[in-house]
Amino acid sequence: MISRVAGSCFWLNRYMERTESLARMLGVNLSFQLDVSLPNAERWRPLVVVTGQEADFVSKTTEAERDDAEVVQEYLTWSEDNPSSLYSSLRGARENARTIRETVSLEMWEVLNDLWVWMRSSQARRIYDRDRHDFYLQLRNQSLLFHGVAQATMLHEDPFEFMRLGTALERAGQTARLLDVKHHSIGPTDPAFETPAEAAHWLATLRSCSGVEPFLKGGDRAFSGRAVAEFLLFEPAFARSVLHNLRRTRNFLDLVRPPEPTTVGRRSKELVAASLARFEEQDIERVFAEGLHELVTWVVDTTAEICVAVQDDFFDPPPLVEPTRAPAEARPPSPASGAQSQSQTQH
Amino acid sequence: MGSHAMPDPSPLFTDYAPIRGTFDECFDESGQVRPEAERVVRLLEGLGGREFQSRQRLADSTFLRSGITFSVYSDSQGAERIFPFDLIPRIIPAGEWQRVERGLEQRIQALNLFLADVYGDQRILAEKIIPEDMVLGASGYTEQVRGIVPPGGVHVHIGGIDLIRGPDGAFVVLEDNVRTPSGVSYVLENRMMMKKVFPYVFAESHVRGVEEYPLRLRDALNTVGPAPDDEDGTAVLTPGPFNSAYFEHSFLARRMGVPLVEGSDLFVDDDRLYAKTTLGARRIDVLYRRIDDPFLDPEVFRKDSVLGVPGLMRAYAKGNLALANAVGNGVADDKAIYPFVPDMIRFYLSEEPVLGQVPTYVCARDDDLAYVLDHVGELVIKAVNEAGGYGMLIGPQATRRERRDFAERIRNDPRNYIAQPRIELSTCPTWTRKGVGPRRVDLRPYVVTGRQTFVLPGGLTRVALVEGSYVVNSSQGGGSKDTWVLEGSPT
Repeated sequence: MISRVAGSCFWLNRYMERTESLARMLGVNLSFQLDVSLPNAERWRPLVVVTGQEADFVSKTTEAERDDAEVVQEYLTWSEDNPSSLYSSLRGARENARTIRETVSLEMWEVLNDLWVWMRSSQARRIYDRDRHDFYLQLRNQSLLFHGVAQATMLHEDPFEFMRLGTALERAGQTARLLDVKHHSIGPTDPAFETPAEAAHWLATLRSCSGVEPFLKGGDRAFSGRAVAEFLLFEPAFARSVLHNLRRTRNFLDLVRPPEPTTVGRRSKELVAASLARFEEQDIERVFAEGLHELVTWVVDTTAEICVAVQDDFFDPPPLVEPTRAPAEARPPSPASGAQSQSQTQH
Repeated sequence: MGSHAMPDPSPLFTDYAPIRGTFDECFDESGQVRPEAERVVRLLEGLGGREFQSRQRLADSTFLRSGITFSVYSDSQGAERIFPFDLIPRIIPAGEWQRVERGLEQRIQALNLFLADVYGDQRILAEKIIPEDMVLGASGYTEQVRGIVPPGGVHVHIGGIDLIRGPDGAFVVLEDNVRTPSGVSYVLENRMMMKKVFPYVFAESHVRGVEEYPLRLRDALNTVGPAPDDEDGTAVLTPGPFNSAYFEHSFLARRMGVPLVEGSDLFVDDDRLYAKTTLGARRIDVLYRRIDDPFLDPEVFRKDSVLGVPGLMRAYAKGNLALANAVGNGVADDKAIYPFVPDMIRFYLSEEPVLGQVPTYVCARDDDLAYVLDHVGELVIKAVNEAGGYGMLIGPQATRRERRDFAERIRNDPRNYIAQPRIELSTCPTWTRKGVGPRRVDLRPYVVTGRQTFVLPGGLTRVALVEGSYVVNSSQGGGSKDTWVLEGSPT
């Protein structure tokens, strides 16, 4: 398929995943902050930090505004200037879909277009003002609908695999970010001693990725921060765990590459293989000994690196007929992905 | 239930009155419904005005929801408009269409031979059938393609010939479009909508299908591809999502099953065109390009073009690439060349033209210029290089000041203007806020040529929705209708 189109497929799903992930985080945080007594600064700010927008947020707000729950939620939900807001992510998804109308199914387009029209309507704003839980829930549900419709209506070939590749990489990164929220609000975890606030936080973390019931289905798991982190990082069967998504990344890459021997996509393949090997060597003992924050930072940075490799290998390849010919020209940045720079957690 | 037997109190056609001196597509001058329209009028009348209106609303909302828009988003705000669609079809009987079809094939054939000649031996100029300076001075004449024979010898793969009917009801040619005629996607979408909204009326009416168009186009494009079968590839080239016809580009690519590409997806290596794909470079040997000539290749044409592909014209000149339509076609659909098309038909085909056309004054000729300047108030005057209903003066409807200004422009640049008497375009019953009324229409049939020529039955009927208006262009308050060419009666 055309490289640019593959890029739009990939970004379409990354943006949708960001929308869903942030909507979940915001929705869960609404009830979490009612359950625990935390200083204002620790209630909402961490969400800004993990979306990678702290510097931008600080530059646009006063000291007093920064810890104001309404200001933070407004910024993360509606801000058109915040490239990571729900509004911007949804716009990114729809813009990418619109440039590849011939590739996405009509049904997918309609789901996405309806959601965008709704997001811009006064009705959405009213629900946000009146029943915020419901607002975030609707966004989450529409995102799930989008994935279901894609599964049921797309041809299961390259464009769909590139979409799923985007979802897998974004999910791995988003789950890692989620695990970092607590680090930024309560501080590092000491597995030997957990406060009630920490326990509530871990529960909220699980809820943020629909992980409570899946977690409990492993019947012998005792509930602890360490068990939650282990589940979200290493549970191979959990759809939002880092391990699951790194493995899916590997599988989707194999599906979109031409049969061996080929040089197409080699760099991505090698990088994913090396990252996965390194990740699989980890266990939860070591993670806590060396620091959870350090590992999730590595995951976020690594998934960003893989995205760059995928971009170079597939979406913006040098104009070469044979791979051994003249060096590539300087490549302009891809317009579809230019708006986002969510590649680093803030330390 | 059971209420369907109640007569609807809001009739559609009872008060319909055709405009005097104007041919109406459905009713004759005595107010009798024409035989070919009888069935449709009866079936629609049976639905009644209220039901008709609710189906019109259904059609409008369906177009909007599925994003079938003609003017796309100019910004991230997502403003979009639908091309207004009128549910009363325009009907053409089988016999009438046969003649039109023959006339269109003949005309496209002649235009194609003209292009081959103008960029070849220039016989038609040597024999002074058309004045040399008219042709070589046309803005669409492209010296760079002189001597290039496009693959398969085809110049006009897709032609859109605009037809109108004057007071006598005969179809005549108003304008040729052999560069990048647009609108065919609306023909297909309109048809889909009619089937959805009026399934019964449609089923009863024996209408010739239009759905095969994308496949016919694909076949035609494939037959002109110069590459061997194992490395050939067809693609649609679009300027991008912000182009007003983007929906159509995407639609045609989807319905032909070929990739939609932008200039930046393509590159030229060793005088061959390639697309960048996720599996590496892939050869493209046929490009249905929806980009105008000046933007195709910055090495040859406009250097500031970012829409095209550097080197494209090298691939074209070497015969490694078919471009549909061919480069340089603008010389054939120039409004000042149009008056000579009947002569072309006689010259190249030794036949009389099947379709008539509108008498035209070419201001580049001194006699014509003098006449036009004396009769500005009676004529429709058009700039030869404008389209979309712009650069046009409708004399009878213009103010004195407008006429004076236009006359001044003509004097300054006579080659750029032609003039025609105003034709009383035929009308078709059309839904308006005040019920069904007569509105003027034209017709753009589409003609596809590869190894053979295919004329799409019908085409895009454009309708001037504003009462009394003669301008059907979508940019100027025009809408469209489905065009029903009836199947011939079995003999």
